[in-house]
Amino acid sequence: MNEKKLKEMWNKTENLFEISGYGSSDIEQFLSGRSKSTARGVRKIIIMDLIVKALVVVTLGVDFILYYDTTNVTFVCIAGILLLAGLLFFQRRMLVHFNKIADHGQTTRDTLISMLTYLKTKFNLTLLAVSITYLFLFIAGILIYFYLVYEKVRPFDGTDIVVFAGFIVLGIVFNFVANKVLIKYQIKHLELCLNDMNMNEDAMTIVSQNIETQKKQNRTNQFLLGIVLLIGFLLLVGVFKNVLG
Amino acid sequence: MKKQKPNRKTFSELLEKNQGLIHKITLIYVDNPADREDLFQEICLQLWKSYPNFREESKFNTWMYRVALNTAVSNIRKTKNSFAFESMGNYKQIPAEPADDNEDILQLYRAVSKLNLIDKAIILLWLEEKSYDEIASVTGLTKSNVSVKLMRIKRKLEEMINDAN
Repeated sequence: MNEKKLKEMWNKTENLFEISGYGSSDIEQFLSGRSKSTARGVRKIIIMDLIVKALVVVTLGVDFILYYDTTNVTFVCIAGILLLAGLLFFQRRMLVHFNKIADHGQTTRDTLISMLTYLKTKFNLTLLAVSITYLFLFIAGILIYFYLVYEKVRPFDGTDIVVFAGFIVLGIVFNFVANKVLIKYQIKHLELCLNDMNMNEDAMTIVSQNIETQKKQNRTNQFLLGIVLLIGFLLLVGVFKNVLG
Repeated sequence: MKKQKPNRKTFSELLEKNQGLIHKITLIYVDNPADREDLFQEICLQLWKSYPNFREESKFNTWMYRVALNTAVSNIRKTKNSFAFESMGNYKQIPAEPADDNEDILQLYRAVSKLNLIDKAIILLWLEEKSYDEIASVTGLTKSNVSVKLMRIKRKLEEMINDAN
């Protein structure tokens, strides 16, 4: 194949296809637009979670004021605020970490490897932290509801606890699974691209090694998030059964 | 390394001058005009977002290819089929160009558009007269891998163009 001719043909393409060139003012408009990329999707999940967590902290603060004379509920509120503060810090760190990964200025290979490693490891922690918010949202909301309706926490019986806890667990699991499904296709796409890129060096092996290392580092975080989830449930039981006082 | 203070107006003017390469990328990665415009905007946005991290040690042009190609490669296709490139036939042709030439160029585009996402990036950089070093620095492949891959891609392209003829 005549390589010179190929390059010459290539250089004529701009004239052949009707390309509407954009002016700098159009480009400026694009710059104020919103991205549709997966990176934006992940960022949106984290930012939304930060906002919801902050709102739950405020709501728990309001609960604290409303139930100021009820020691057990104020204890639940303070514990909830402290746990959420920790989770807010954790998610903020996740966002900073993700922003570094999502920089398209890296080489294609590095971009694909870092994004795939993130989606297969740290993204699960992010989703877990997002799902936990649901539990605290429920606690904060139900305390407001009880105050408005009964002006106190109504003790629940065993059946109530099972039903409510069941719904919360379902909510957490559904939230986690729904978000996982959303990125399943993206993971497949990244794996396909890395396979296309493979030559002598096995990029997928590097990804596997990265995932293994990340998983080891993530174990502590997973453990801590598990503890937060457990304490959250205990607080919930405390609210329902009104047993902490 | 100090981060650059991005100036939207200057940056837009810079993009306006270099938009040809973004158009070429959108042409080979996406098959219909609406999706192409979406990808063009997405690339502009990603370039703007990555601009504060741009380091002078790499050429602006090389950096631009890197961001634009990474955006195109990461862009998930709406349809799972490969790009049929049928819509290319609807493009206005410039009368000054001889018809045979136009047909050859269309064939080249059709063939390139049938390559996988990574091969498209490599051949595009080669067609844009980038050196093996530059292709390696954009894709992250080693220079020898670039060389081997390019050989295979060119052979594949040749076969596709010959089959079409």
